[in-house]
Amino acid sequence: MDNEEAKFILRAYRQNGADAGNAAFCAALEQAKRDPELGRWLEREMALDRVVATKLKAITPPAGLRDAILAGGKMSVRPRRDWWRQPRWMALAASIALVIGVAGIGWPRFAAAREAERFAEFAVNDLIDAPDHAAHGPGMGQLAALVSDPTRKLGGALPIEFDALKANGCRTVRFAGRDVLEVCFERAGKEFHFYVMKRPEKSRMRAGPDGMRFAKAGRDEAVSAVWSDDRYVYALVGTGGLETLRAVL
Amino acid sequence: MADADFIQLVDRFYPSLYRFALSLARSEADACDLTQQTFYIWATKGHALREAEKAKSWLFTTLYREFLRGRRRGERMLALDTVEEPEVEQSSLAPETVASMDADVVLAALQDVDEAFRAPLTLFYIEELSYQEIADVLEIPIGTVMSRLSRGKTQLRARLMAERKTSVPGNGTVTAFPVSKGKARHG
Repeated sequence: MDNEEAKFILRAYRQNGADAGNAAFCAALEQAKRDPELGRWLEREMALDRVVATKLKAITPPAGLRDAILAGGKMSVRPRRDWWRQPRWMALAASIALVIGVAGIGWPRFAAAREAERFAEFAVNDLIDAPDHAAHGPGMGQLAALVSDPTRKLGGALPIEFDALKANGCRTVRFAGRDVLEVCFERAGKEFHFYVMKRPEKSRMRAGPDGMRFAKAGRDEAVSAVWSDDRYVYALVGTGGLETLRAVL
Repeated sequence: MADADFIQLVDRFYPSLYRFALSLARSEADACDLTQQTFYIWATKGHALREAEKAKSWLFTTLYREFLRGRRRGERMLALDTVEEPEVEQSSLAPETVASMDADVVLAALQDVDEAFRAPLTLFYIEELSYQEIADVLEIPIGTVMSRLSRGKTQLRARLMAERKTSVPGNGTVTAFPVSKGKARHG
């Protein structure tokens, strides 16, 4: 780790001691102890952080906000009445049910698209912004062999042992509170990044190749594909263009 | 949810939620609306959350989603393309200088930071969330959080420097800042 990397890590270090057990912070802090120049930088950085945090915490909410919140909360939990027995409410409920029924035809497709879009956005951001994609443990054989096999098309259900790969040190990142495994590989001289997470129970994505969605991210020429099967949601990201990506799928 | 529990939850979190909202929305009225709306959603839906300790994360995530909901789709992802790298050397800003500033001035500097950096920065300073918690609230990868915190701090200090130069003419120097973005290594 050089000083620039240590600074990058230490800018996220919290001074309340909550990060003391984190290995990355420990290594960076050790380096700051060894290198006086880095040590002085850290001291100054922490002093600035303390004073900025103090200033921002001094901002107080306007008078009346608390009461307004509490009043709003009470409005949302009115006591129940036998309103459903009134004909006008029965009619309204029937109308709403009809609207929901009609909307229900279009909603799942929209929700699936949004779900895929968010996972693609996450993968692209990770590809571009993550400081280190090399954090792979020794047990990567299965996934590495799978994705780097030039004859293997990836756009379908893949025989992945998620928990074993995670336990064996496959790089794991987090998305919406879930673990996502990532592996980088090359095919025909092009670099790709493959992400996989367990399919959320409430996922609306259609399983199978028909549900695959492609997107251009608008960042660093990145393009992505997201698809799903019954067990997993997958994302493949590359910067070699859409056709290069399709060739792998 | 019992009234007493709701009141306790509001008392515990509404000041920090308001500050988060204020940094995002940059308007007191909008910040109040966002904070109220967040608790309203909690009162109607969030109280069903089974794990009480996740209430904090739920509230911040909900407020952020409500903020994003009011914006044009797709803007969030493209926003970073338009973000300029900071231009000034941050080390020339002394802690004592910031300590002498009004809280409103520091807030204004924070509000001037690009939104992509402002949200993680506010959660870091105000709520002292870990980078993992920030990633969960904003639903972005950890690496992105660290990158945005780093770049956000640099931008914030540049804004604070500008404030200082405005208030004390002829004091201090501005030098070129070598861009360091924490470039990715791919393995």
